[in-house]
Amino acid sequence: MTTTTPAVLTPTDLRGARDALADTAGAVRIRGTGTAAGWAGSPEPAPTVLDTTGLTGVLAYNPADMTVGVRAGTPVRELQEELAGHGQRLAFDAARVARGATVGGLVATADSGPLALGYGSLRDLMIGATTVLADGTVARSGGHVIKNVAGYDLTKLLHGSYGAFGLLAEVVLRLHPIPAAQRSVRLDCPLSTAAERAAAVLGSALEPVALEWADGSLLVRVEGTPEGTEVRARQLAELTRGSVLSEDAAEAAWARHAELVDSPPEDRAVARIGCRPSRLPGLLGDPAGTGGTGGLGTGIGTVTVAPGDVERTHDAVTAAGGTSVLRQRPAGALRAWGQAPSAVRVLTALKDELDPQGRLCPGRFELWFTSGKALS
Amino acid sequence: MLDEAVRQALVSAVGPGNVISDPVGLRSYECDGLTGFRQVPALVVLPLDTQSVAAAVRVCHEHGVPFVARGAGTGLSGGAMPVADGVVISLQRLRRVLDVDPVDRRAVLEPGVTNLDITKAAAPHGLYYAPDPSSQQVCTIGGNVAENSGGAHCLKYGFTTNHVLAMTVVLPDGEIVTLGGDSGEQLGPDLRGVFLGSEGTLGVVCEITVRLLRVPETVRTLLADFPSVPAAGEVVSDIVAAGIVPAAVEMMDNLAIQAAEKAVGAGYTLDTPAALVVELDGPAAECGEQFEQVKEICDRHGCTRLHIAGDAAERAKIWKGRKAAFAAVGRISADYIVQDGVVPRTRLAEVLDRIAEMGDAAGLRVANVFHAGDGNLHPLVLFDADAGELERAEELSKDIAELCVELGGSLSGEHGIGTDKACSMPRMFGVDDLATMDRVRSAFDPRHLCNPGKLLPTPRLCGERPGVYRPHPLEEAGVIERL
Repeated sequence: MTTTTPAVLTPTDLRGARDALADTAGAVRIRGTGTAAGWAGSPEPAPTVLDTTGLTGVLAYNPADMTVGVRAGTPVRELQEELAGHGQRLAFDAARVARGATVGGLVATADSGPLALGYGSLRDLMIGATTVLADGTVARSGGHVIKNVAGYDLTKLLHGSYGAFGLLAEVVLRLHPIPAAQRSVRLDCPLSTAAERAAAVLGSALEPVALEWADGSLLVRVEGTPEGTEVRARQLAELTRGSVLSEDAAEAAWARHAELVDSPPEDRAVARIGCRPSRLPGLLGDPAGTGGTGGLGTGIGTVTVAPGDVERTHDAVTAAGGTSVLRQRPAGALRAWGQAPSAVRVLTALKDELDPQGRLCPGRFELWFTSGKALS
Repeated sequence: MLDEAVRQALVSAVGPGNVISDPVGLRSYECDGLTGFRQVPALVVLPLDTQSVAAAVRVCHEHGVPFVARGAGTGLSGGAMPVADGVVISLQRLRRVLDVDPVDRRAVLEPGVTNLDITKAAAPHGLYYAPDPSSQQVCTIGGNVAENSGGAHCLKYGFTTNHVLAMTVVLPDGEIVTLGGDSGEQLGPDLRGVFLGSEGTLGVVCEITVRLLRVPETVRTLLADFPSVPAAGEVVSDIVAAGIVPAAVEMMDNLAIQAAEKAVGAGYTLDTPAALVVELDGPAAECGEQFEQVKEICDRHGCTRLHIAGDAAERAKIWKGRKAAFAAVGRISADYIVQDGVVPRTRLAEVLDRIAEMGDAAGLRVANVFHAGDGNLHPLVLFDADAGELERAEELSKDIAELCVELGGSLSGEHGIGTDKACSMPRMFGVDDLATMDRVRSAFDPRHLCNPGKLLPTPRLCGERPGVYRPHPLEEAGVIERL
C-alpha cells in the first residue's frame, strides 16, 4: 500500500459538503476534530480526507421549541455554551466533549456519558438529519419536531455508523432545560458493594440521572429543584450509606470519572462494553481489566486492558451476551470489534445501496462488509 | 388468487389449524382502523412461533408473494391493509410475555402482547412500560414497534423507539436476526432504530425486549379552563419556559369538550372555550413544588376554573374524557375524520387559526384535541356523508396535514403514513430524500414484498382515492376508539 498525502477538503456548508463527495472519486475518510481517531477499526488510507471542522454553526434555534439545528462539525462544547444562555442544554455528557468532539463525530461513534441513564444517548436526542451520500445525494430525514413518524428514521442509521453510510452534514437535536439544581452522592466501596447499593437505588423512586462505578467509588447524581434534590440526595445517601458531596467535590468526582474514560495510559487497549446492567460488575471486575468505569443502571462500561488481553475481553463480553469495541488500539494487530451483529448481512446490503463503491471510511468495521461489494 | 402450491406450502409452514381462507374470515382482515381503505387478502396465516413466521415469510419470498404483518389492526393509517392476492401474517397468536426481569428492569414479549398487558405483567415489581397510546388496551407491542407509537405521556418519556432495547426480526427473505442488544451500547449502526417505525415494511418483529421504568412516586393532575385557546397555549409555553417537563399536557377546544362531556361526563365545563389537562409525575417533593408553579401560571393567564384530581379515580375520570374525545365526536357529528399532524409547539396558535379559517372556507366544523406539549394535533373534521360532504372533508383533512408540514412540522406524529398519507410524503420530503428511503427499503427487502405500497408514494396508489369511511367492526363494538 502506497502512502501519499491525501487531499483535504474542508467544506463550510451543505453545498460544499455535497460537492466534496460528488466531485471526487475513490475512498474518502471523514474526519472531525479527531477525538475518536483510535476508536473501532483502523481507517484505511484514503486519497481524500473530508474534514468536517468547517461545517460549524447553529442553523435554527428557537428556544421555546427546545430544538436546535446545527451543522455537524460544531463542537458540542460550543453548542452547550450557546444553549446555556437560554437555560437549555443537550442532555449529553460523553467524556470527550471536553476535548472538542463534534456533534457529528459523537453521533457517528454512538458515544454517550453517565447521563445516558436519565436521557438516553444521541440516538434518543437526534430528531432530524441531513446526510450526504457517497454519490453526492443529499438526503434529509426526521425534522424539527420531537414527535414525528413520517418516513424511515435515517438518523438512527447514522448513529454508530462511523461515517460508513454517509457524511452527516446537519443535525437537529432535542433539548432539555438546565436543571435548577443537581446533587451527587458518593460511596467509596468495593465493586460488589457498589453493585448491591446500585440495585437498591434503581429499585427506589429516587430517579437518578447517572449511576456510575468509577475508581473505587459508587457515584449517583440527581437533578431537579434545589429543595427536591436536597431531599433526594439525603435519601440516596441513607440508601447507599454514602455521603452527599459538596458542589466542588461533586464536580471533581465526575471530572475524575471522565478522565478515567477518556485518558487511559497510552500502552493499554481500551474496550467499550455494553451488557445487561446486572452483568456489568462481573465484566468490570474481570482480572484482565483495570481502571474500569461503568453505568450500573445502563450496563455500559469502559475497561482498560493490556493489548494481549483484548481477545480474552471480547470473548468474556460475548459470553455475557454483550457488545464490545476498542476505543484505543496500541500498536499491533488487535481485533477492534467483538462478535459481529447477527444482522451484518443487512448492514452490508445497506452499505451496497448507500455506498456501492465502498468509498466512505473503509476499515472502520474491519471485515463486516466483505461479503458485499463494499471492499472490492 | 394464490397458487395452490404456494397455499399448500404456507399451510405446512404454519400448520393447518393456523390458516384462514374462507371468504367471511378473510373479510375481517380487509382493513385496519382506517376503514376507508379495504382489500381482502388471499390468505391469512396465524403462526404460533418465530420459526413458523420465518417459514411463512420464506414461502412468500420464494414465490414472490407480497405479505403484510398485522397485530390488533388498530392502526389509523392503513398500514396493515392487505395487498391484493397477498398474505396477511397475523401475530395475534404470538402473545406470550416471555420474561419480566425486575433486576435489569426489562421484559421480553411476543408481538401480540397488548401494550397494557406489559404494564400489568410489570406491576407486581413496581415497574411499568411507559409508552401509552390511547388504544393501549387492545393495540399490540408488535404494532407499536411498527408505528413507533407514542401516547399522552411521550412528552416526558419518549416513544416506543426510546424504550425498545432489542428485537428478534424475520427479514423479508425469512432469515431470523437480532436488532439491538442488551444495553443501549450499539454494535455498529442502529438497525433497531431504523426498523422501529418502519410500518412493517422492513420485516416482521417476533420478539421484543423493552425497558421497564420504576413507577413514579407521585402523580398530580389538573384540569384548567381558559377564556380562549391562545390563553391556554400561553400556559403551555410558560410551563415549558419555567423548565418544567410535564408528563403530559393535553388541550381541547370547545367542540371537543362538548363532545367528550356529552359522552362520558368527565366533569368538563360545557361552555369553556378551551381546557388543559396537565399532569406532573416524579419524586413527591419536586412534583409538589412544580405543581404549585403550574397552578400559578394557570392563574396568571386568566384560568376560569381549576380542578385538581384528588385521587386516582378523579384522575382516571379526567383522562377518560380526554381519551374518549375522538369517539365522542360522533355525538355532535354524523361523520368525522381524525387527522394527525405536528407543528413546532410555538406555532400552535397560528396553526389553529389557519385550521379555523380553512374550516370556515370549506363550510365544515373542526374540533381540536391535541398533545399540546409536543405540538401534535388531532383535528377532527366533522361532516355529513349523506349531505355529500365527504370529498370536501377529505380534502380539508389532507390540507391540514400538509399545512403542518408548511409550518415546519410533520405529516404524522404517531398514526403513521401507511396507505393514508403516502401520497402526501412529497410535501414533506424531496425526491432525493424519498429515493434514499427507498434504497434503505431495498437493502432490507430487495423484492419489495414486505408490506408493499405503504409509507412511500407509488404512482398506482397516488392515482387512487380512498373509499367512504365505515366504522371498523371493533369500533362499533366499542373495543377500540379512533384517536
